[in-house]
Amino acid sequence: MKKKIDFVLNGEKISMEIDPLKRLLDVLREDCSLTSVKEGCGEGECGACSVLLDGEIVNSCLIPVGTVEGAAVETVEGIRESENGKRIIDAFAEEGAVQCGFCTPGMMVGAEWILRKYENPTSDEIRTALSGNLCRCTGYDMIISAVEAAAKGGRK
Amino acid sequence: MNNISTPVRRLDAVEKTAGYTKYIADRDFGDLLYGKFLRSERPRARLVSVRKPALPDGYYIIDKDDIPGENAIHMLGADWPVFADDEVRFIGQSIALVVGPDRKVLEELVNQFEVRYEDLPAVLSLEDSMALKGGALHNDDNCYADYHLLKGDPDRAFEEADHIYEHTYETGPQEHVYMETQGFVGVWEDGKVHLHGSLQCPFYVRHAVTPVLGVKDDGVRVTQAPTGGAFGGKEHYPDIISTALAVAVDKLKKSIGIFYERGEDIVNSVKRHPSRITIKTALDKEGNITAMDFDSILDGGAFESCSCIVLQRTIFHATGVYDIPSTKLRGRALATNHIPFDAFRGFGAPQAIFALETHMDHLAEMAGVDPVAYKERYFMKKGSVTITNGKIHEEVKLPEILARAKEMSDYDRKAKEYGKGGNRGIGLSFFNHGGAFTGNGEKAIINAHVKVRKRADDVVEIYVSNVEMGQGLMTTFSKIAAQTLEIPIEKIEFIQPDTDIVPDSGPTVASRSIVIVGTLVGKASAKLKKQWVDGEEITVWQEYEEPDFVIPWNQDTFQGDAYPSYSWGVNVVEVEYDPVTFEVSIVGLWNVYDVGVPIDRMIVEGQIEGGLVQSLGWAYLEKMEFKEGRIQQRTMADYVIPTTLDVPAIENDFILNPYPEGAFGAKGAGEIVHNGGAPAFVSAVEMASGKRFDTIPLTPERIMEAGR
Amino acid sequence: MSESYRPESLDELLKLMDEKDLIPFAGGTDLMVQNAAPVLPGFKKDVVFLGHLKELQQIRKEGHDLVIGAAATLSAIESHPDTPGLLREAVALIAAPALRNRGTMGGNICNASPAGDSIPPLYALDAKFRLQSRKGERVVKAEDFFKGPGRTDRKKEEILKEIIVPLKEWNIKKYRKVGTRAANALTKCSITAAAKVKGGRIDDISIAFGAVGPVIVRDRTLEQNIKGLTMEEMKEKIPSILSDYSAIIVPIDDQRSTAVYRKQVCLNLLKDFLEQDMKG
Ligand SMILES: Cc1cc2nc3c(=O)[nH]c(=O)nc-3n(C[C@H](O)[C@H](O)[C@H](O)COP(=O)(O)OP(=O)(O)OC[C@H]3O[C@@H](n4cnc5c(N)ncnc54)[C@H](O)[C@@H]3O)c2cc1C
Ligand code: FES
Ligand code: FES
Repeated sequence: MKKKIDFVLNGEKISMEIDPLKRLLDVLREDCSLTSVKEGCGEGECGACSVLLDGEIVNSCLIPVGTVEGAAVETVEGIRESENGKRIIDAFAEEGAVQCGFCTPGMMVGAEWILRKYENPTSDEIRTALSGNLCRCTGYDMIISAVEAAAKGGRK
Repeated sequence: MNNISTPVRRLDAVEKTAGYTKYIADRDFGDLLYGKFLRSERPRARLVSVRKPALPDGYYIIDKDDIPGENAIHMLGADWPVFADDEVRFIGQSIALVVGPDRKVLEELVNQFEVRYEDLPAVLSLEDSMALKGGALHNDDNCYADYHLLKGDPDRAFEEADHIYEHTYETGPQEHVYMETQGFVGVWEDGKVHLHGSLQCPFYVRHAVTPVLGVKDDGVRVTQAPTGGAFGGKEHYPDIISTALAVAVDKLKKSIGIFYERGEDIVNSVKRHPSRITIKTALDKEGNITAMDFDSILDGGAFESCSCIVLQRTIFHATGVYDIPSTKLRGRALATNHIPFDAFRGFGAPQAIFALETHMDHLAEMAGVDPVAYKERYFMKKGSVTITNGKIHEEVKLPEILARAKEMSDYDRKAKEYGKGGNRGIGLSFFNHGGAFTGNGEKAIINAHVKVRKRADDVVEIYVSNVEMGQGLMTTFSKIAAQTLEIPIEKIEFIQPDTDIVPDSGPTVASRSIVIVGTLVGKASAKLKKQWVDGEEITVWQEYEEPDFVIPWNQDTFQGDAYPSYSWGVNVVEVEYDPVTFEVSIVGLWNVYDVGVPIDRMIVEGQIEGGLVQSLGWAYLEKMEFKEGRIQQRTMADYVIPTTLDVPAIENDFILNPYPEGAFGAKGAGEIVHNGGAPAFVSAVEMASGKRFDTIPLTPERIMEAGR
Repeated sequence: MSESYRPESLDELLKLMDEKDLIPFAGGTDLMVQNAAPVLPGFKKDVVFLGHLKELQQIRKEGHDLVIGAAATLSAIESHPDTPGLLREAVALIAAPALRNRGTMGGNICNASPAGDSIPPLYALDAKFRLQSRKGERVVKAEDFFKGPGRTDRKKEEILKEIIVPLKEWNIKKYRKVGTRAANALTKCSITAAAKVKGGRIDDISIAFGAVGPVIVRDRTLEQNIKGLTMEEMKEKIPSILSDYSAIIVPIDDQRSTAVYRKQVCLNLLKDFLEQDMKG
């Protein structure tokens, strides 16, 4: 049963006729072609589907699009050109935080969230903030260093 | 550190972080149908009948009757059918594939099948397998392999022994949990099936699919899509999906995708082999080890897959880094009605190393000596005779590695201070890993070819069948070419592996990529450099050449050099133990390796850290149990892998030991990193808890139950 | 296929609940997993979203109580200055930040999982639940609300409106979750324990165990036996207290842990609380 849903996606107002129960993850990937948002588990366990919802990190696989009516959704596509975004990408590349890359856009969303939330995040704070973002390749250390480096680069 | 080791930015890092990289499920293939498997619900049964549901328009059922060629997936053996014929052998085995446009309808259709089974006595344990319960599943003895090794005179050593210690060690299955689940798309193109998938070995897929379709080698095309982690889980399992998919595409001439959901992937894809290894050690009057006798058993699961090769690695690593004067070994991979077990980083070696290191720890404890001091006495050296009566040809730098690891971790002080049972512990493991295929496999089975082509615009393209799957291969290969040619890395282009385009340089497995294929890329680049003319197109080929120093390998007797070279390592794990809840937390991790010369220090450190954390997960978190042949942990909530908070910061270092046959002195580094975490962890927990263990995953439940 | 509703107000929500047979949907972190299916989630009934209703998100102090709106997110509760320590600790260990930014305490309660982590502290702190329907509201004690795994006293047309947590003074507190891993972990068992000790005498004590039975384990009679004892008297009685609790902690084996382990660890944690935490 399609309904009209309005929300702000990466800074732009959008409006779509869609089943409100469709997962935000699928709406972003299928209807908006934003494939940085990945499905790693579909059960809230891995964080590959992380997006920012009104500035807070959430798992888009657990969110029916009908519940984001009026809200602001941000994905890596909307973050990567920003000052923070560029700094995070740079730090991830520089610190060796990327291997297979499947978890990485989700990690980047997490990093952006941390940069907005903390002035000078400690490595413990970063670990706690990213504890819902699983990575099977890196063992995490280089990701933590990358977020630390990005945060040290100054805040925007 | 050496110039080649100086980190460069990975060529794929920015694209991946910024979300530009298109994995198989991210790509737009136009009108795509989906495929969903009907699977066996029984561990072992005769298929009495399969009643198919009525199909809406545009939906199809593909099964064994649609196969134009053989109903057999060619891996090493060919016992695993594409679709079950008259019997099923494990829960999850494919019976049919339903194809159509709507995934919801597909699910309903799969549920509407009526499958009648006649249950047969299922083989649910190694005991069942050895007792041939219900009649043999494989040959007449249920052994996919039954190997024997002999070195020295163990019988005499055991006869003359002053003391004999025997114990059995067990390890559990491990699920790969690559973050990207299995995914494949098949399209009908230029009169043939073209498969795109998340995979490690494009030519394995082609090798599996061609006999099923009954076509020649080039009758199928396989292209690797960016691969979101693999760890061995995309070595042979893609053969299972792609063969069924190819039959469907071949019949329907339509584009079809198969994408696993996580639960489907956890429950139906292959796992690491569970092991049971019994070690019997003979000690003389002075307490010296004079001989060891191994009985190494792997659960091979319902089909052979690559169990024999995995077992070979298990047995060739049975004595780890130690020179034991006399050894005797029997190794078996047994058939059961569990899901087939298959490749996983380390490929059978981690199981052997866990058993051996833990056994050595126990021997040390009985001798009242610190385990590290005890083990040092038996270190292999250059010239040591291996378990296959081959030789160690290289300088063994274990003493240097150990010294550095001790310095970094403050091992000696901590080991002394913590004592036994003081709730804090530190454990140290020694391990090695033979580079590349076992024995003469590189020449006899693979015989890799690589192609390097300079375009007229002076950009150099690398053509190999080895894939980037996270390990950094695209960058390291480009780096080898760039440094050899003395041109900027931006001038190198790594060609996406595609069986119609690249030569067969073998599979992306066995830590062979750098040491074998990377070396060939280096040689080809050197040739190109000699022929270089600006603005001209030049193509250079390079074929594998066996090193001339090896002791020839006999594949029937398993005698000779199992591997021309080894990488070596030490892991140190420090833990805190809570005697109230029996929980363990890891508080320190240090690693030192000899991987020859690391081609990019940061990339190798990435392997070291990721592999260590994976092996720690296997050691204490990742529990997978079978009940009546059914996997109990079916989601990522129940099969848990380490998070950011389960592991601390990690420190690494290298001891350089250039390998003359490897590009820039490199040896393998992809798999050894999974070998040492588990025994070091268990050793640390033994110190902290004052208890003794022999089984992983070492869960708090197991720690509680373990007596002294 | 299910329909979904998005009421603009609490009144409209109650009206919808009254007129139709609907699944209340707060953060959806339980519902979306339980009803996961290809293409669209496969709900058995129609769904009504309530997570966005401001009226259900408030957290406020009312006299000696903290009143938590059922749709307040776990993150909001975690960071609220008036949240009692035991509850905050428990909430902070639920899942991971992204989950806590969506999941609600109302959902955690109404899902009624024996492993729901906010529930043991709510038992231990004598929390009450305010349920509301179009016809009116009623207040139910935590221990009267839960009937078994997934089963509660909530009537079909009712919603959980708020959680009322008495802000009592406890001077000794212990919360410990034993999960499957360090973070983002489901609970194998947990203890929430609080005591008020004055002048060497135990004025009040409250002990709840999570994930070791169909509902949370809390026994007021056993607590009564401890109340009024001096610390010395209590210490002497520890063996008999443990054996009393041993009789009422009856967990099960499942894919996450074993009955034997769960029980042993609960008793160890209780012993640790009585011997160590209650030292001073
Ligand atoms: C990856 C993952 C990890 C998790 N880890 C934990 C954990 O560590 N500890 C833990 O306790 N839980 C955990 N959970 C479960 C879940 O996140 C919590 O139970 C959460 O608090 C549920 O809140 P919600 O708002 O998302 O509930 P919903 O899914 O919206 O609802 C849950 C149930 O409550 C009902 N309901 C919700 N609100 C109301 C209301 N106001 N009135 C009446 N009925 C209502 C719904 O109909 C449904 O039956 C985890 C879940 C996931 C996916
Ligand atoms: S896909 Fe959403 S958390 Fe894994
Ligand atoms: S880089 Fe592969 S999962 Fe994180």
